[in-house]
Amino acid sequence: MVVGLEVHAELNTKSKIYCSCRNAFGLEVNTQVCPVCMGMPGTLPTLNEKVVEYAVKMGHAMNCKINSVCKQDRKNYFYPDLPKAYQISQAEVPLCENGYLDVMVDGEEKRIGVTRIHIEEDAGKLLHDDAFAGSLVDLNRCGVPLIEIVSEPDIRSSAEAKAYLETIKSILQYINISDCKMQEGSIRCDVNVSVREKGSKEFGTRCEMKNVNSFSAAVRGIEYEFKRQIEVLEAGGTIMQETRRWDDAKGMSFTMRSKEDAQDYRYFPEPDLLTIVVDEKKIQELKEMIPELPNIKIRRYVKELGLSQVDATLIAEDMERSSLFDTCVEMGKCKPKSVSNWILADIAKFTNDTGKKISETPLTPQKLSDLIEQVEKGVISNSSAKKVFQIILSTGKAPLDIIKEEGMAQNSDMGFLENLAKEVLANNEKSVTDYKNGKTNALGYLVGQCMKASKGKANPGIVKEIVIKMLSE
Amino acid sequence: MKLYEKTAAELSDMLRAKECSAVELCKDIIERTNAVEDKVGACVTRCEDALQKAEAVDKAFAEGKELHPLAGIPIGIKDNISTKGIRTTCASKMLENYVPPYNATVMNKVESANMIVTGKLNMDEFAMGSSTETSYIKKTHNPHNLDCVPGGSSGGSAACVAAGEAIVSLGSDTGGSIRQPSALCGTVGLKPTYGSVSRYGLVAFASSLDQIGPIGKSVKDVSMLYDLICGHDKMDATSAYREYPGTFVGLNNDVKGLCIGVPKEYFGEGIDSYVKESVFNAIKLLESNGAIVKEISLPSTEYAVNTYYIIASAEASSNLARFDGVKYGFRAKEYDGLIDMYQKTRSEGFGDEVKRRIMLGTFVLSSGFYDAYYKKAKLVQRKIAQEFSQAFKECDVIITPTYPTPAFKIGENIDDPLKMYSGDICTVTVNIAGLPAISVPCGKTESGLPLGMQMIGAKFAEQTILNTAYAYETLCGGFSCIPDTL
Amino acid sequence: MKIDIQHIAKLSCLHLTDEQAEKFEKDMESIVTMVNCLPDVQDELTLDVENAMRLREDIAEEHKFKREEILSNAPQVQSGCLVVPKTVE
Repeated sequence: MVVGLEVHAELNTKSKIYCSCRNAFGLEVNTQVCPVCMGMPGTLPTLNEKVVEYAVKMGHAMNCKINSVCKQDRKNYFYPDLPKAYQISQAEVPLCENGYLDVMVDGEEKRIGVTRIHIEEDAGKLLHDDAFAGSLVDLNRCGVPLIEIVSEPDIRSSAEAKAYLETIKSILQYINISDCKMQEGSIRCDVNVSVREKGSKEFGTRCEMKNVNSFSAAVRGIEYEFKRQIEVLEAGGTIMQETRRWDDAKGMSFTMRSKEDAQDYRYFPEPDLLTIVVDEKKIQELKEMIPELPNIKIRRYVKELGLSQVDATLIAEDMERSSLFDTCVEMGKCKPKSVSNWILADIAKFTNDTGKKISETPLTPQKLSDLIEQVEKGVISNSSAKKVFQIILSTGKAPLDIIKEEGMAQNSDMGFLENLAKEVLANNEKSVTDYKNGKTNALGYLVGQCMKASKGKANPGIVKEIVIKMLSE
Repeated sequence: MKLYEKTAAELSDMLRAKECSAVELCKDIIERTNAVEDKVGACVTRCEDALQKAEAVDKAFAEGKELHPLAGIPIGIKDNISTKGIRTTCASKMLENYVPPYNATVMNKVESANMIVTGKLNMDEFAMGSSTETSYIKKTHNPHNLDCVPGGSSGGSAACVAAGEAIVSLGSDTGGSIRQPSALCGTVGLKPTYGSVSRYGLVAFASSLDQIGPIGKSVKDVSMLYDLICGHDKMDATSAYREYPGTFVGLNNDVKGLCIGVPKEYFGEGIDSYVKESVFNAIKLLESNGAIVKEISLPSTEYAVNTYYIIASAEASSNLARFDGVKYGFRAKEYDGLIDMYQKTRSEGFGDEVKRRIMLGTFVLSSGFYDAYYKKAKLVQRKIAQEFSQAFKECDVIITPTYPTPAFKIGENIDDPLKMYSGDICTVTVNIAGLPAISVPCGKTESGLPLGMQMIGAKFAEQTILNTAYAYETLCGGFSCIPDTL
Repeated sequence: MKIDIQHIAKLSCLHLTDEQAEKFEKDMESIVTMVNCLPDVQDELTLDVENAMRLREDIAEEHKFKREEILSNAPQVQSGCLVVPKTVE
């Protein structure tokens, strides 16, 4: 299968792309509307500078060439959610083009080409109510800034599509240009699918699927469309070039329009806007603002720090997690794998249960690092560590102080432990004899007795070593 | 002499010298309008609050407030310029009852100068036409001969000044729509450099060509009004960011050493010999007063009308797509479903000329034809602009006729779009190249119809053309644009 | 030049009766024949770098326009929304 994706992401600027209405979601219908975004006769667009900056940042993140000189074009079509009956977009010269994105799929790195990224305006919303004979138009979303990211047809499986989409989403969050709220429709995608025989160089006829509103829907849609096309071909049919509408509830796609009905959008340069010229210095500054991105982090975590792809992804795609992880690893006090385990187990459970962000808790990289260090050194047991973790979260105290106050430190003093073991062995001659006669489970009993004698403070690992050594003497 | 016969410059001085009040002036205009409007038909909507506004101006004068030189001067506004709370019809059924919730930037300037808006003026529907005959609202008649058209598309704006229904007016010019009616009605009309006057609030016809500009009885009036409306506007991304020092203070009627270019392509076969003669006489007058006259050539002029109709219609087809019966304006009464509603609304709401241009524009942008028409026209546009820049290296101002003929009879050309279009030959090049140009009266036909002369300047050289026009006005002893016969 | 007037009308969202179509087709054909006459300019369109656009600062203004004002010219309004014929079945 051959898949290309067009991802639309709403940008989280303060104002809309062509007017100073608030860019906000979920407000009362038609209250974030002015004469400009409702297309009143005589109004004119003025381009928001942040939209250009955000798109350039995304271009850098996706390794694109930035076209410092570009323009905007009108895409003409009639629909009630498009008040001017044209969308201001970019046709011939997009702001960014010829990039790529490396994503991890099943532990392998895959490079997906990015054809272009351009800026455009969102349309309004149509509301339907069975009880009412018409459709209602809410224009609040008109003029919300969008970037459209168009991939090359480089995607070969639904898993690759998923990885690509999730990487885009986490990058958008990393560089903080989109809220990425799927349920608010702030990221949407159109999917192009075609099939061809294995080894064939030619692409098959492609079908475009619209109305794909979540990543999981994209995966389902791609798989459905792949199966549908195979079935058509195996039955001796041919694939028609067409636009299909994905119905996620039904899990099926339906023909929207065929190639013959293809819209003629009559693109032409937007005469109300002049040439966009982005200063080369500004482009460089924006490049320097891009942090290490999640896809690059995943590669580093797997290749350099020995995490599994699953763990690496779970950490890298979440900014808070990866920042905590990176800082702890940089401190160099504990193993990356231990940090990863803590983040994905105890910390993840806490944030999931409470809905809190890590940054909203008293847990700092320093505290986490200190805590893990004490476990790795054998000063406290794993079960004590979990208690310390809870105390940190509720009081904000430093782990070393907590261990001291709670008397949790395990005794690792060799002289003390040897004396303790000597005493226990002397008081349990029967078990010693049993052990020497081959009853190995006597060892556990003897170690247990040592622990009991130490009131649980002895380091069980060291005690075990001492007891074995003494028994073999 | 009645107040309505005076110029804004004269009235501005009189108001300050207390020789008349703003209320007296306003009443005079209202009376005059009552007397002649039935014959002329320049107005689409009359502003009932004009007198109140005039009273406020008198009050401010009495309190010794410092007011703009144009304060208290009655002005008419073309009905495609958005006026908050006053219907703005574009002379179309589509917008017959549309009341904008906002003001065009030029209207904010007009209001802040305390000018008195007397009415909204008739025009060709959506500014598409050269005779004001495509108006859905009414016919406008040329004050110099009521059987003739006033020109267009700003026919109401020129006619109202020539009829004394306002002292000055605002029009818009996409391919000659200020200059041509000015020529035909004997007024002075300036089409400013593209980008020097904000288009915000001007209902778009062809965005890359449209400009708002002033019409008046004298060069001084046009200069004063231009100074008021020009300037960068952050609401219009195409408005030019630069200093506008003011042309009125710089007005100068000395043409000694001024180099006038006369392009032979503008004096060809299609131009009425009477028109040619008048323009040549005017040029001679300037020459005899020290100007240097040079014949120049602008070879791509022959393609200008074609280029203009392709670009203007392409933009118009997109600009007028928003009139779909959903957000504002007309909606068809009966329809079956969305598409039918769209089609019926647009078919019933637009007149034939508008439909022709929308369809021409749709055609030249449509798949398979874009390169052969739109793209080619844009290339020719650049060539025309380059020829002008080249010409302005040799001369300061270019003089041509404004229109090939004097005003024609109402109904004479309306069924022949090609004939109507070809008349735009002298004016469209200026819009294509984004240049400033002024039309001034230069004599009359034997039957008393005014003729116009066009002076074209380099980009942002408004001062040069206003000075040339002012010199000509002075040399011929002033213009008299209100006919005695009306 | 032959023009498919009904196709152009459809793209323009205009409805033409047969009689109108005939008239407009004739008009359009003569207009297109006229504008068709343009010279071949051996050049490519370029973007005007000299005339760079000033961009707007990203500041959200509290909405100056009440919903009633914005919708006051609409042919049909319901529950604060514009009304159109149903767009879905």
